[in-house]
Amino acid sequence: MKDLVRILIGPLVWLSAFSAVYGLHGVACAFGWADIDAWGLSLMRVALTAAWLASLAVLAVTVAVLHSRRFGSPSGFVRGVSIMTGWVGLMATLWTLFPVVVTSTCQ
Amino acid sequence: MRTLERHRRLQDIWASERGWKGWTSSVNHTDLGRMFLVTSFFFFAVGGVLAMLIRAQLATPHSAFAGPELYSQFFTMHGTIMMFLFAIPTFEGLAIYLLPKLLGTRDLAYPRLTAYGYWCYAFGGTMLLVSMVLGIAPNGGWFMYPPLTGPIHSPGINTDFWLIGITFVEISAMAAAVEITVSVLRYRAPGMSLDKMPIFAWYALVTAIMILLGFPPLILGSVLLELERAFGLPFFQVELGGDSLLWQHLFWLFGHPEVYIIFLPAAGVISTVLPVMCRTTLLGYGWIVAAAVALAFLSFGLWVHHMFTTGIPHMGLAFFSAASTLVAVPTGVQVFAWIGTMWKGRPDLRLPMLHILGFFATFVMGGLTGVMVAVVPFDWQAHDTAFITAHLHYVLFGGFVFPILAGVYYWLPHFTGRQRFFRLGEVAFVLIFLGFHGTFLAMHWVGLLGQRRRIWTYETSDGWTAINLVSSVGGFIMAFGLAIVLIEVVLCFFVGRRMPRNAWGAGTLEWAMPTPPPNYNFASVPHIRDRDPLYANPGLPVQIARGDGYLGTPRHDWRETLTVEAARGTPDYIVVYPANTRLPIVMSAVTGLFFLSLLIKVYWFTPVALAGVAVLALRWVWVLGQRQDRGPLDAGLGVSLPHAAEVDRAPGWWGSLFLLVADAVLFGSLIFGYAFLFTVAPGWPPPAWFEFSLLELGGGVAGALAAAAGMRLAIRANRRGGSAWTGLAIAGAGALVVLLSLAALLVRTPPPSGHAYNATLFVLGGYGVLHTLIPLLMLGFLAARVSRGFVSAARRAELPIAGLWVDYMAVVAILVLAVAHLPGVAP
Repeated sequence: MKDLVRILIGPLVWLSAFSAVYGLHGVACAFGWADIDAWGLSLMRVALTAAWLASLAVLAVTVAVLHSRRFGSPSGFVRGVSIMTGWVGLMATLWTLFPVVVTSTCQ
Repeated sequence: MRTLERHRRLQDIWASERGWKGWTSSVNHTDLGRMFLVTSFFFFAVGGVLAMLIRAQLATPHSAFAGPELYSQFFTMHGTIMMFLFAIPTFEGLAIYLLPKLLGTRDLAYPRLTAYGYWCYAFGGTMLLVSMVLGIAPNGGWFMYPPLTGPIHSPGINTDFWLIGITFVEISAMAAAVEITVSVLRYRAPGMSLDKMPIFAWYALVTAIMILLGFPPLILGSVLLELERAFGLPFFQVELGGDSLLWQHLFWLFGHPEVYIIFLPAAGVISTVLPVMCRTTLLGYGWIVAAAVALAFLSFGLWVHHMFTTGIPHMGLAFFSAASTLVAVPTGVQVFAWIGTMWKGRPDLRLPMLHILGFFATFVMGGLTGVMVAVVPFDWQAHDTAFITAHLHYVLFGGFVFPILAGVYYWLPHFTGRQRFFRLGEVAFVLIFLGFHGTFLAMHWVGLLGQRRRIWTYETSDGWTAINLVSSVGGFIMAFGLAIVLIEVVLCFFVGRRMPRNAWGAGTLEWAMPTPPPNYNFASVPHIRDRDPLYANPGLPVQIARGDGYLGTPRHDWRETLTVEAARGTPDYIVVYPANTRLPIVMSAVTGLFFLSLLIKVYWFTPVALAGVAVLALRWVWVLGQRQDRGPLDAGLGVSLPHAAEVDRAPGWWGSLFLLVADAVLFGSLIFGYAFLFTVAPGWPPPAWFEFSLLELGGGVAGALAAAAGMRLAIRANRRGGSAWTGLAIAGAGALVVLLSLAALLVRTPPPSGHAYNATLFVLGGYGVLHTLIPLLMLGFLAARVSRGFVSAARRAELPIAGLWVDYMAVVAILVLAVAHLPGVAP
């Protein structure tokens, strides 16, 4: 079962991050974070960007772990597939959540 | 033992009853797979007739063929039948028939569950057909948006048929998903490690996991909408704190993954059939597995692209637009791997290959229009037009029906033992291909000209007449083609020539048995050393028949197979299946009475039916197990394995685990709904929060923790040869305290019809109570089993199963009590 977890973990972390950031976006709009100033930006932009960067960091660590000898699969096949799906998670996080830094927030 | 004698012994043990009685008592996957497929293609025919009625109506402006009410029923039932009664059950049927044969085992993990799932599907589908015959079929569109489908705008019983009938049918999908997941992970031939699994098994596994994660939001949405319709709980009524957008979220959380739940099994068929048609092996096996996993997960991040026109903020739109474009990448990886496979081999244009080529042309076009509608500004223009209808048919017909027809023709000799005699299939393919593109290319065009979907008529001055006529003519040509397929399949059963074994020259294990297959599949379970076992060892069928594998000598009249460790495929333990029984059909009939009582609003009968289901469920599990320790059993090839009753992680534990994963998704969706209404719905905050009670919260949390600790104590004591009674008593007492805390929540919740907040608390409390009653029932069952001598230090498998449910109860109870009590503490 550990090998199955290795294969699923990358996309699963992306799905969690994606849902969490979308949820945070809803909460931030509901509570007016877009109008609260934080270091010259809106609190919403800061929070969402921080969440995005944290997600990227978690995915980067996940990929590194899947590459490592200690935690990577002893099976060459599972190792290859899990590294591929790990990269899918990382690239998906980069692509699907980059709107946090470029689009308008609650309009 | 001689080969023929072995065959006769196994046939006696595994045979189903003869004649129609056998249909009601068989638990064999070959029988049930065939029954699933025949039923699903019957529904395909019904859905096809409805499609023809739709095209007849739209062929000319101001058609007098059908009025708006009837037309609404046509398109609603067409979509509903094709999605829920054809596509998903066809996957279930194909997987149920094929998987054990591909995996080198004798049946699926839970044969009686297979039968229960089939009968729930058959009875639920019949319920929907009856509504159609009576003229009171669902009429709100296949995605049933409130407020149109709410009690104010749809007061009749039509919508209830959909909500209750589909939920009944979905029991079948959930049962199949649990079954397939456990079967692929654990029920394989020894030696078949993950890298040696047939590619269809990977696709089936990924699809089954998607069903486990994707269907619960729909089931929850259906329950909530039915509660609103029947009892006035206002989840979707804005003036009482609800929001109709909540339905759209819950529906599309299911609805978009559903597209891939339909496509991925078809891609599994392509990946299996294409290499055989090209006389080679699949190119990029690992890449395809990774792409299927990626596609499955990415598909859960697309649901809002069905809601681009609902006024969601730009940032939200951008998230889902980006995810929608991204999904083209893993799809493209698979398409290029298939193209590479063709390039590597020598394609042979036999009939399955023609349908695969039809798939390529159609699906790629559907995928490209999918990228178009993933772009928000284009979607705003095309939303709810015939362009969208055309796009989804390119994806679903191209991505599912063409591959399934390829699969039907490929495995037809396996189902029947015969090969086609008349060459009707080639004519049928041409008619289907031309008819399909005639229908739906035209529909793209008329959609871009502004024709909305689901309109029952239009004006001559709209300029759509000729295009609609072309589309309707194309539809009828396609229908002729599909009718010819049906005729040819029926003819093949009666007048086809005998098929030699493995006539396609395939490398997968389903061709290592005689056709049509015997009920036991394999006379002995082979040891697998290669991904294409028949290519690596052409003599394998003879060795299997000769009993040279595992479990080659029948004993005790047991229906035996063995399980393996999930990753490496090393033998794990021996499973003895239950024999033929009518328990599944009876239990699904009683389950149907439960749903019927809700439908016709005879609510006094609902708890009676539920009690009936509980009694039958207890009977279901009581007949399993044994009263004596058996120790290691000879599995053949010098291997001894324990009986499934004498392990920690028995099949029931694995099934419970995956069922609870789905259950947790449903619970998570309910919490999501609460959070959504809390933050987005206009009628919040509610008039009053639920009043905090330290006694109820603290008592419930303590009870939950005690129950979980008690079960651990019982499991540990039993394993050491001690008594499990103390632990069971603590667990039971803890669960009772939890029940009291949750009952108090239900009693103290303000009237649920007053505000969506109250309604949400009521449902949360009800969910908690249900998930406390189930473990309590299990603890009572365990107590009876211990006292009757079914449990010993060796025969320990049943305790951890109940332990899983108690743990789940504890988590749910703590979360429910927390979200109910804590908002009342905040200033």
